[in-house]
Amino acid sequence: MSAERRGDALAAAGWRTRMRWPRAWRSPLGIVGSVIALAWVIVAFTASWWVPFEPNAQVLPRLQEPGIDTLLGTDGTGRDIFSRLMTGATVTIPLALMLVVAAMVIGTVVGAVAGYFGRWVDETLMRLTDLVMAFPTVILAMVIAASLGPSLFNAVIAAIVVSWPQYARVTRSLVLGLRGQNYVIAGRLLGHSPLRSLTVDILPNIIGPVLVLATLDIGAAILLLSGLSFLGLGAQPPTAEWGSMISSAIQNFDAWWLGVFPGLAILTVVAAFNFLGDALRDVLDPTAEVSKENQADRAASATGTPA
Amino acid sequence: MNAPRRLAPIAIGAAALLALAGCSGGNSANTDDSSESGGSLVIDTAFSIETTDPGHTYDPTGNMVAKALYETLVDFEGSDVTTPVPGLASWEQNDDATEFTFTLEDGRTFSDGSEITADDVVFSLQRIQGMAEAKPNFLLAGLTVEKVDESTVSITSETPLLQLPAILANPALGIVNADVVQENGGSTDGSDSAQSFLDGESAGSGPFVLDTLDLTSQVVLTKNPEYSGDEEPAYDRVVIRNVTESATQLINLQGGDTMVAMDLNGDQVEGLADGFTVESVPSGQTIFLLLNQSADVAGDLANVDISEAIRYGLDYDALLELAGAGSTQATGVIPTGFEGALDEGVTQDLDRAKEALAASGYNGETLRLQFPNDYPVGGVEFTPLAERIQAQLAEIGLTVELAPAPFATELDAYVGGTEAFGLWFWGPDYADSANFLPFGPGLKVGLRAGWDASANPEIADLAAAAASATDVDARTEDFTAFAEAMQEQGPFVPLIVPGRNIATTDAVTGAVYNSVWDVDIAEIAPAG
Repeated sequence: MSAERRGDALAAAGWRTRMRWPRAWRSPLGIVGSVIALAWVIVAFTASWWVPFEPNAQVLPRLQEPGIDTLLGTDGTGRDIFSRLMTGATVTIPLALMLVVAAMVIGTVVGAVAGYFGRWVDETLMRLTDLVMAFPTVILAMVIAASLGPSLFNAVIAAIVVSWPQYARVTRSLVLGLRGQNYVIAGRLLGHSPLRSLTVDILPNIIGPVLVLATLDIGAAILLLSGLSFLGLGAQPPTAEWGSMISSAIQNFDAWWLGVFPGLAILTVVAAFNFLGDALRDVLDPTAEVSKENQADRAASATGTPA
Repeated sequence: MNAPRRLAPIAIGAAALLALAGCSGGNSANTDDSSESGGSLVIDTAFSIETTDPGHTYDPTGNMVAKALYETLVDFEGSDVTTPVPGLASWEQNDDATEFTFTLEDGRTFSDGSEITADDVVFSLQRIQGMAEAKPNFLLAGLTVEKVDESTVSITSETPLLQLPAILANPALGIVNADVVQENGGSTDGSDSAQSFLDGESAGSGPFVLDTLDLTSQVVLTKNPEYSGDEEPAYDRVVIRNVTESATQLINLQGGDTMVAMDLNGDQVEGLADGFTVESVPSGQTIFLLLNQSADVAGDLANVDISEAIRYGLDYDALLELAGAGSTQATGVIPTGFEGALDEGVTQDLDRAKEALAASGYNGETLRLQFPNDYPVGGVEFTPLAERIQAQLAEIGLTVELAPAPFATELDAYVGGTEAFGLWFWGPDYADSANFLPFGPGLKVGLRAGWDASANPEIADLAAAAASATDVDARTEDFTAFAEAMQEQGPFVPLIVPGRNIATTDAVTGAVYNSVWDVDIAEIAPAG
């Protein structure tokens, strides 16, 4: 194995990165995360075609234990848990992806404008950002969802409102560092408008870290949405949603299968997206990749003579 | 060969987790040694209480607390609510059932030691009559309360009122200490401001006095040292805790954290092992659907055809399946066991339902079903019930959207009559079928459904006739006619009379359900 890697290292570096997954993707957690996340995303977009029962059909006996007929049992009104769990993915995952994209776009625009223009624009936007960040996330989301009226759509809005500031913060700091770079100044001297400067010169350099942040945030978004639904501020009955399934499981506390499976669903999907985000960070961070390569090469050569 | 060794730590870990889970009942409340007299009693219930001022209370938990703090002129024994017995007073009535004379028992005192006199009785009742906005105000509408002498009070009614003794047993009509309440803002002319005082301490003659009141978490009562009646409490201190989830009540009961759980559902009591006593009886409460008849609220669907469509579109056996032990189908607005109740309830008739739906002018709109989602009635959770109603109504082509809200939020919309389609419950305030007349047009519950007297004068007349009867048999017939007419043309769809499961540990006895005040706390005593 080490000989093989050594051989690779001796081959042209550019060739290797084109033909192989980056090393970070090959880490066990990265693979596990990708596979689980991909599986859930596939479920999320196809479940409605293949679930065995209609998710709201009350056609089965009540409170059946997991078994052959009903894979994960039935709930207190005789609905199939497996069907509801899979249908829950079609509700939660697309909405979580959507809200992360929305929060990312809003946060990036705010942060980029603040960082690029500086002065009072920066002050105003960043104090606004601080204002939102100062509130505990879930509490603020609860306040917004409750005041808009409980519904899944309003829960998404609430989640967007509480999640954009971190993107604004990260983007601003990156833009602050980049706007003094010579190539950005040169672009400005060539007469590029601020918009063109931001999109052409700066955006390609900040998109990596922001994407990493977004991937890591998907897990948090799913947790937040499920949490709001658990509190009755998100999905309304009879919508099959993981958080509200757990919430209604409390009414039949002895039936363990009501709460355990939605809980496991949340656990796996959140963990998967976190692993994926970690792997993505390693991939998109050139310095991390290079230092790891160096480390690996040194270990492989086993000469024991570091530079 | 290595596998067993590797399994060992996992097995130990699993065992440790199980052990931790077993401990999670907690022991935060003081459960003392309940076999001795004195000590504390802990009761778990889902709160429905707004105040401990008897003049304003009108909710199940509020009545239970008021029953412990105050005494009424008339009382019931145990769960028997058909025969009123003397409480603070014994009474006589004239033949027309219009004039009642109450004679106070001698030697009864308030918690400050002062004697209960006719003045206190007159003040207490007139105070409620003066407060037009007070919830129990309607109980005394049209009555004249007069002092005859120091220990005699006469109550007269313009119309015959056979149910007056049963009404006066309502804990909301508890007798307060007139001197104390007047010092703290009490008055009979409507300017009464004693509620905040009575939320801080009690001024009654009941077996307990109020220690602390927290409307969201718990009510603490302590023994009344001056109590002079015949229901001497067995506990020095009673903690009534707000536990909205029946599952939590079950865990608290099993963990020894509480001694009485008031709201367990049928599934939960079936799973209780030895060491617990469960009493399942049909409660007097009715869970029903309400369809608003006011065009301002319900628009084009403000008619009784839509309620008929729903009444015949539902499968009641499937709904009962959710309600569990002790529950029965509601045969009408008067629950089984009360005078005039109908023998047979509605059975599903989809053709009739579809016809009525067509007649109602329903045009594919989505009806929004509003209901409280944190207040189980007799262990029946409203959310699964609403989900099943939604699924059943989809079969007759009626689209329903569920709009759950916390009890405290939703109550205003219900009481204010702004719900177009609601799922609610009605409990008797006094043990008499007259109690269910408020469902009539132009009356309390009828108005909540936007149903005024002009909407159906025939039913209004039936209700009036039943209310003013002087003969018991004629009254029963009137009630039956009223209940039948309500099932034919009313805006309500009675669904379920939930069973009431009161579960206690074997260490206590005497927790008997009473439809007026849930449980008389003073009757609960250590076992043995």
